[in-house]
Amino acid sequence: MSARENILGRVRNALNRKASPADTAHIDAHIAAHPVGMQPPRDWEPELRFRARAEALASTVEKVSSLQAVPDAVARYLVVNKLPTSGVCWPGLRHLDWIGAGLGMEDRPARGADLVGITGCYCAVAETGTLVFLSGPDTPAATSLLPETHIAIVDTARIVPFMEDAWALVRAERGRPPRAVNFVSGPSRTADIEQTVTMGAHGPYRVHIILVG
Amino acid sequence: MHIRSNEFKARAAANLGDAKLQKGLGLIKVKAVVNRANAVAEFGDFETLREAGKQIRNRALADLDLYLERFEREAVARGAVVHWAENAAEACRIVVNIARENGVKTVAKSKSMVSEEIGLNEALIEAGIEPIETDLGEYILQINDAEPPSHIVMPVIHKTAEDVADLFHEKHGTPRKTDPAALTREAREILRPKFLSADMGVSGANFLIAETGSTLIVTNEGNGRLCTTLPRLHVAITGIEKVVPTLEDVSTLLRLLPRSATGQAITNYVSLHTGPKHIDESDGPQQFHIVLVDNGRTKLLAGEMREMLRCIRCGACMNHCPVYQAVGGHAWGWVYPGPMGNILTPSYVGLEKTVPLPNATTLCNQCGSVCPVKIPLPDLMRKLREEQMARGLKSWPERLGLALWGWAAQRPALYALGTRIAARVMKGLGGAEKLIHRLPLAAGWTDGRDFPAPAGKTFRELYREKRK
Amino acid sequence: MRVALFVTCLADLMRPSVAFAALRLLEHGGCTVEVPQTQTCCGQPAYNSGDRATAIALARKVLDEFEGFDYVVAPSGSCGGMVRAHYPELFRDDPALLARSEGLAARTYELTDFLVNVLRLDSVPGNFSGTVTYHDSCSGLRELNIKAQPRALLAKLPGVKLAEMKEAETCCGFGGTFSLKFGAVSTQLADNKCGNACATEADAIVGGDLGCLLNIEGRLRRRGDRKTQVLHIAEVLAGQSD
Repeated sequence: MSARENILGRVRNALNRKASPADTAHIDAHIAAHPVGMQPPRDWEPELRFRARAEALASTVEKVSSLQAVPDAVARYLVVNKLPTSGVCWPGLRHLDWIGAGLGMEDRPARGADLVGITGCYCAVAETGTLVFLSGPDTPAATSLLPETHIAIVDTARIVPFMEDAWALVRAERGRPPRAVNFVSGPSRTADIEQTVTMGAHGPYRVHIILVG
Repeated sequence: MHIRSNEFKARAAANLGDAKLQKGLGLIKVKAVVNRANAVAEFGDFETLREAGKQIRNRALADLDLYLERFEREAVARGAVVHWAENAAEACRIVVNIARENGVKTVAKSKSMVSEEIGLNEALIEAGIEPIETDLGEYILQINDAEPPSHIVMPVIHKTAEDVADLFHEKHGTPRKTDPAALTREAREILRPKFLSADMGVSGANFLIAETGSTLIVTNEGNGRLCTTLPRLHVAITGIEKVVPTLEDVSTLLRLLPRSATGQAITNYVSLHTGPKHIDESDGPQQFHIVLVDNGRTKLLAGEMREMLRCIRCGACMNHCPVYQAVGGHAWGWVYPGPMGNILTPSYVGLEKTVPLPNATTLCNQCGSVCPVKIPLPDLMRKLREEQMARGLKSWPERLGLALWGWAAQRPALYALGTRIAARVMKGLGGAEKLIHRLPLAAGWTDGRDFPAPAGKTFRELYREKRK
Repeated sequence: MRVALFVTCLADLMRPSVAFAALRLLEHGGCTVEVPQTQTCCGQPAYNSGDRATAIALARKVLDEFEGFDYVVAPSGSCGGMVRAHYPELFRDDPALLARSEGLAARTYELTDFLVNVLRLDSVPGNFSGTVTYHDSCSGLRELNIKAQPRALLAKLPGVKLAEMKEAETCCGFGGTFSLKFGAVSTQLADNKCGNACATEADAIVGGDLGCLLNIEGRLRRRGDRKTQVLHIAEVLAGQSD
């Protein structure tokens, strides 16, 4: 008897269930229906809520009216904060006029030495001020993770109210989750030493969000 | 991990006298407890959310076999390899074999309490493989000669910044610094190359989602993401009880867990992993292994402790436990401290090795009142006390005392006489001060406290007198 | 209204004044109070120690002794909690006893809860004057929701000023046999409680459970404080007798 059979056998005994095949109709039904559980009251407008939560979690947020305005906004942010003006960006952002804004952005996944990473995001969750990333060939994970500065471009039309709405979007558009779905809610942090929160643990030190819409 | 639970009393007493430890522990009441309270208040109807969490966990446990089978089917369909381990040794063997078969020399570890439970690091080291803890707290412990964690969420809650400053100065050979931000930066710089070069990443899983065959981890530092994205292999190891039916179910639990653990509305990172990387992806592991561990969980499922399996490892119970706040987690002598440790440790390693634990509590229920999935912790502790009684694990003075008390209390005339005598004797012992400074057989009390002397006559006799 | 007084073993042995005070308060509220003479113990020490058999035996005795009253009132959240929250669990395997225990549980009240929510007292006979701070005993608070009731009653005494201590709801460290078996930890918790209570500079520390009060007073006196009084809420509300 394999470990698997032994373990499942003990589980079935504990549940007073006979050996399989068991009727899975009720669990199939629950999974198929995937009902939404308790959510906090929605007494806010999603974009405002997203911004408020993101800022509370130590990201900085600004808004521009179009994607074309993004490179200048990025340049302003980097210069004002005395940060490097070169880095890497997602392939989908390659076509923006980085050079015109005085920036050197390479279209490749981030490596250890890269200090600035610019990404889009799949969607954003207003409830928690969270950016949602889906893994894929055009959305390298390292870009939002390795550099000290992460800049995320968020289409305001992709701000959804609750976490469950993000799952619903994934199901509707992709059918099922890709290899990795990452919720990111600000710069990396730790409170392991004397329960004092410090920013910049192993991930980015700062996250700057540029809303476009 | 070596089990030292039977030393609870001695270790607790030593910890009470440890001024540096007391300073660290003192922060729990002003930080962890306050942060949770603020998060709960900000959420609103947290009580209904707790009930919802309880229902979700109960739903999964009620059909644990079916949900595990569904999880496995979905995970395998997405290219993950699912392993089952009946016990700690088997689980370690599985992970070591995966490492050996793939020429793994270094393992980057994200925090996993199950890996502590099974003693994974020791097994890897024995096999000539180097485990590197990347969670800041766990890293601090690892370089301190593999000191065990004292908390399931904040592993070095017992250390001060000064302690960490000394340790980093000694082990890294760098100039001594006490600022937590500077210490964190130093750890970041030391660990970054290890992430980039590790062959295998090992993580736990806060939840397993049956619907999609995914594992989910919640982290703040970014090490979780690094361990599960950069190395060519990812092994996720966790207990079989962690399965949850759907993404929506896990969303409800994600509202409960961070608030209960650290007072955050959400952890900085929530990572859902489903299968290994695709051929056209630039990052992600080539292989994704999931190790499902029993190690005593099926026994819990079958018995009176089943409700303990709802646990989502938030640590709120220990943060709010006055005993934990006073003595810290190391007194518990194993992986799981505090109220949840009072139940899990005896259940997993045996009552004989953990005699003090179910008794090291006043049953005040501060733990149960904050448990996000409403586990009736004191009731479970009391049940373990019943088991101890049945198995003869109670000391003979205690059994004798209880038997005597119970026997006398069922015989009113005898009880009346006995209490009359006791009241007078104790009044005498109290003297003019009306305070007893030493009571035979009660040194546990009188070492640190006086005992107020009784009035000298029992209510029973006074009431009788009054009615005449 | 026929009310039975559940004296509690600690009041009987250690502080009869508490039971007399409870009696006085109930009579002040218009009750006819009886004191079943053979009562001894609710069984909580046995129950919490894991001696289920003894707990059941004592609980059965209580079921018999307190049969037939409209209400059973105890000046203790511990004993009240034992009857209300735990007796039904003790008898889960015996339908007849279960029904009786549920009946008893429904009629059993902790004293302050009874005075506020059943008798709805407008006044109390006591005349205590000074500042008090209130310790919320764990069983009363978490098993019976005793929180507002004692404070509402204290507010009826014109001479009483209430000063809330920090961590009023945190365990004092008594825990029955815990206070003996884990004496060092228990003493530390009692010390924490004393520290918080004394910081309010109250004249008296008041509570609803004698176990807690003996523990707190014991530590207080060992700390050298002979001044601060430690009183049961019944004593404060009922005033002096005799």
